[in-house]
Amino acid sequence: MDTSTGRTDQSARQRLLDSARRELIDDARRGRGGRMGVERYAGRVDAVLTSLYAETPPPARSALVVAVGGYGRRHLCPYSDVDLLILFDGPIGPPEERFLRDLLHPLWDVALTVSQQVRELSDFDRVETDNAEFLLALTDARLVAGERALFQRFTAAFRRWDIQAFLFDAILRLTEERHARFNDTFYQLEPDVKEAPGALRDLSAIRTIARATDPGMLAVPAPVRARLDDAEDFLLRVRSILHAETQRNHNGLSHELQEKVSQLVGYPGAQPRHRVESLMADYFRHARAVSRALDWTRMTSPAPAGPNVKRSRDGVDFVDVQQAARHPEAWLDLFQTAITTGAPVANAALTAIQHHVSRYAAEEFFPSDQARRALLTFLQPRNGLYARLSEMHDCGLLGRMFPEFEAISGRVIRDFYHKYTVDEHTLLTIRNLERLASATTPSRQRFAGLLADLDTPELLVAALLFHDVGKWRDDDHAEESVRMAQQALDRLRMPDDARDLIEFLIKHHLRVSIVAFRRDTEDPEVVRQLAELVGTEDRLKMLCLLTLVDIEAVSLDTLTPWREELLWQLYVDTYNQLTLRYSDELIERNQSGVSNLFATRPRDISERELSTFLEGLPRRYLRLVGREAIYHHVRLSRDIQPLQVHASLEQKGGLWELTVVTLDHPFLFSNICGTLSSFGMDIVKGHAMTNGHGLVLDIFQFVDRERFLELNAGTQANGRALLEHELTEAVAGRSDVAARLRARETGVLHRPSAVATRIAPTIHVDQHTSRRYTILEIVAGNRLGLLHRISRVISRHACDVHLVLIATQGQTAIDVFHITRQGAKLPEAEQAALIADLHDMLEEPDEVD
Amino acid sequence: MKLIKSIVRPNKVEDVKDALGKLNIAGMTVTEVRGHGKQKGHPAVYRGKEYNVTLLPKMEIECVVPDGLVDDAIRAIIEAARTGEIGDGRVFVIPVLQSYRIRTGEQDTM
Repeated sequence: MDTSTGRTDQSARQRLLDSARRELIDDARRGRGGRMGVERYAGRVDAVLTSLYAETPPPARSALVVAVGGYGRRHLCPYSDVDLLILFDGPIGPPEERFLRDLLHPLWDVALTVSQQVRELSDFDRVETDNAEFLLALTDARLVAGERALFQRFTAAFRRWDIQAFLFDAILRLTEERHARFNDTFYQLEPDVKEAPGALRDLSAIRTIARATDPGMLAVPAPVRARLDDAEDFLLRVRSILHAETQRNHNGLSHELQEKVSQLVGYPGAQPRHRVESLMADYFRHARAVSRALDWTRMTSPAPAGPNVKRSRDGVDFVDVQQAARHPEAWLDLFQTAITTGAPVANAALTAIQHHVSRYAAEEFFPSDQARRALLTFLQPRNGLYARLSEMHDCGLLGRMFPEFEAISGRVIRDFYHKYTVDEHTLLTIRNLERLASATTPSRQRFAGLLADLDTPELLVAALLFHDVGKWRDDDHAEESVRMAQQALDRLRMPDDARDLIEFLIKHHLRVSIVAFRRDTEDPEVVRQLAELVGTEDRLKMLCLLTLVDIEAVSLDTLTPWREELLWQLYVDTYNQLTLRYSDELIERNQSGVSNLFATRPRDISERELSTFLEGLPRRYLRLVGREAIYHHVRLSRDIQPLQVHASLEQKGGLWELTVVTLDHPFLFSNICGTLSSFGMDIVKGHAMTNGHGLVLDIFQFVDRERFLELNAGTQANGRALLEHELTEAVAGRSDVAARLRARETGVLHRPSAVATRIAPTIHVDQHTSRRYTILEIVAGNRLGLLHRISRVISRHACDVHLVLIATQGQTAIDVFHITRQGAKLPEAEQAALIADLHDMLEEPDEVD
Repeated sequence: MKLIKSIVRPNKVEDVKDALGKLNIAGMTVTEVRGHGKQKGHPAVYRGKEYNVTLLPKMEIECVVPDGLVDDAIRAIIEAARTGEIGDGRVFVIPVLQSYRIRTGEQDTM
C-alpha cells in the first residue's frame, strides 16, 4: 500500500493474491485445503475487492459488489472462478460503465478469473427465466462492498415467491440433468468432485432448495449436520488438491490424481493401491451421505406456489399461518393453487381456516375487484374443482363465503329420487360438469362439445352453486334460489349481463327437464316456446348442460342413456329453432318487451324512428341485443345514405365487437368480412340482419390476434380510424377487398398448415324451414377470409344475403346464411349450381379469387 | 288374463297411467325403451350435418288385466297416448297362462 495516498498499487494487490493462493495451495498439499482453507482464501479475495471498490471513483448510481455462486459461499478453491454480481441502483450510463472498467480491469490484470454479471436493481422486477444458472448463483449472494441498505433491497426483491418458485423448479431440473450425465450414480471410479452425484454441487443444491422453500429444513439433526459438514470438508480438500496439482480449475479425480490425493491427504498403506482404495471408500461414504440428504430434501421440500402458499407432501399449505389468518381474501388462492397443481389442500391449512373462518363476514372474502375476478377464475369447470369446493365446504369456508349455501348444508329432502343431501347434490353437479370435459362415450362427448363452446362456463358453475339453495324451505325452491343468489351476486358486484344469465339459469333450471321428459318434444310449438325462453344458443347450451349434470347428481341411476338421448334431441331441435327458424319470427309492436323499449326510449329517438328501425328485424335481435345497444343502433342508422357506413368498435373482454350499419347492396356482407380479415381479424361470432327498409345491421365479434388495434391505439395512424376508413372504402366499392386480402392470405402466417387436421366442409340446404328464405348451413375449417369467400360466391350467384349467423367451435366455422334470389327462395337448378361453386371454393382452400 | 304391452311417447305415460287408473288397473311396469316403428326413425340436421335418429326414446307400459277389461284398457291406452302423428306407438296384447305372487306363492285368479 502507498501510505502517502492510502491506495494499494497493482503490484501490491498481485502480491497479496499470490500469497493468499500460495497459502491455500500449501494447505492443500498438506491435505488441509478444506473448508477453513477455502474460506480464508475467499476472505483474502474479499479484501482485495473491498480495497479496489474503495479506491474506484464512485459511479452516479450506488453500486454493490456482490459475491455469488461458490465465491458467495466462500468456497473458493485455488483456481475457482470468482463469481461476481455488480449491481446498480438505477440505469447504467457512462459513469457506471467507467466504474465497471476501473473495478474489473485491475482484477483481470492480477490474473483472477472473474465471472461477472452486471444488473440494475429493477432487473429483478421480473424473473429472468432464460438464465436459471445465474439466478441460482444469486441464492448464495453475499455483500462484499457497497451499501448494505441497497443489498437488503436486492435480497428483498429476490425473495419474491415467484422467483423462489422458479428457482425451485430450476434446481430440480438442472440437478436431474446433471445427474443424468453421470448415469444417475455416485459410484464413479473417476468422479468429478464438483459436478458428480453426491459431490459439491449437490451440497449446494440442498442449501438452495431449502432456502427457496423452507429454510427450517437447514436445521437438520446434529448427526446429519456433522455428516454433511465432513463430506463438504472432504470434498473441498480434494478439490483444492486437484486445483493445486493441475494448476487450473480441474475437478476430475482421475486414477492418476487419486494416487496423488491419497498420498497428500495421508491415507495409510504401503502400496498406492491401498491408499487409493481408502481414499475412494471415504469418497463414496461422503457421496452417499450427500445423495441421501439431497433425496430427502427433494422429497420433503415444499415448493413455493404463491404468495404465502407452498406445496408440500401434505398438499397445498400456507407458508405463514398467522399471516394467512389475517388475510381471508387470500384463502381462495390456496384452493386455486391446489387445482392448478393437482394437489389437495393440506390438512393443516384446512384446520387453520376452520379455526379462523368464523371471524370473518362474507364480504371480507371478496373485498376487491381482483378478489371477485379470482372467484370467477376459480369457478371454471376443470379437474379438481369439486374436490376443492368440497374441502372449502368441509372446513366451513364455503358456507361463510356464501351464507346462502350454508342454508342447505346437510339438508335432507325425502323423496324417491334424491340419494344425497342438497349440498352434496349441488357439489356433485359441479363434479359432473368438470368430468364432462374428459367424457369418453360419444353420447357424452356431444355434451362436452357444448361445454367447450361456452365463453363463460364459470357462470354456469356459479348458477349450479346456487341453483338449489332455495331448498332450505319446503315449497317451490327455484324462485327462492334466485332470491338468495341475488344476495350473493350483490356482494360479488357481478356485472349485469353475468348476473342476468346466472339468475336466468337458476330460475329455469327445471324447465328443460320438464320439456324433455314430460312434454311432446315432437310438437314444434313446444320447441318454439323453449327457444323463445332461452333466446340464444349460449343460454340453451348452458341450460341443457345444467339439466344434464343436475339429473346425473340425483343418484347413480337417474341419468339413463334414454334420458340423455331425449335431452340431446330437445337440444338439437331447439338449436335449430334458434338458428334456422328465427327468420320468420319478426318483431311486432305488441310483443312483450317492445312496448317497454318504446316507453323508455331516449328523447332524441322518436317513436317513428324506432318503429321504422325495428320493422322487419327478427325477434332474435331483441334477445341478442340489450336496450341501450338498440338505441345506439338506431342512432347509427340515422340519416344514413347509400354507400355510407356508420360503424362502432368496442372491446369486450378478449374480443372486439364491430357494429356496422349501412344500406344493403350486392357484395356488401362479403366486402365487410373481407375488410376485417384483411386486417388479420379472426371473426369468431356474429350476426347480420336486414330490416324491412334495406337497412343492414352487422355485428361481428373478432379476435385481433396480431394486436393491430392495440398496437395502433392512440398513434397518428389510429388503428380504429384506419379500419373504419377501409370499411367505408370497401362498402363504397372504392377498395379492392379481394386484393387486400390476397396479400395476407398468401402470407406465411395464414397459409393453411400442411400438418393441421383438415375439417371436411359440409353444406346443408334447407328449403322448408323458413317461409321466405333458402337457408344454407355451412360447416368448414375456419381460416382467414372464409366468410368473405363464402359470401362472395353467394353474391356472384345474384343472391341476396338477408340474415347471417356466424359461430366457431374450435377450428370449425359454422355459418348460417338466409338468402333469396330476386326476392324468392332459390330455384332447384340455381341451388345446385351455388352448392357446387361453394364446394369448389371450400375444397380448394389455397385458391384466392 | 292378458298382458297389455304399450309403447308410447314419453310425455304420454302420465296420461296413460291416469286412464288405466280410472279402470282400477293400478299395477303396471314402466320402462324406458328405445326403438323405431315402420318409419325407422327420422332424419335430423345438426350444424349442417344430416344424420338419422333411428332409435327413438319411448316408454313401455306393461300391465296384466282380466279378459273382461282388455278392450276397455286398450281403448283407454290408445285414447290417452294418441296425438295423430307418426310415432304414437303400439299396443300389444299377449295371453298370460298363469300368474303368482312372489311373497305368498299364491296363484293369481284374475
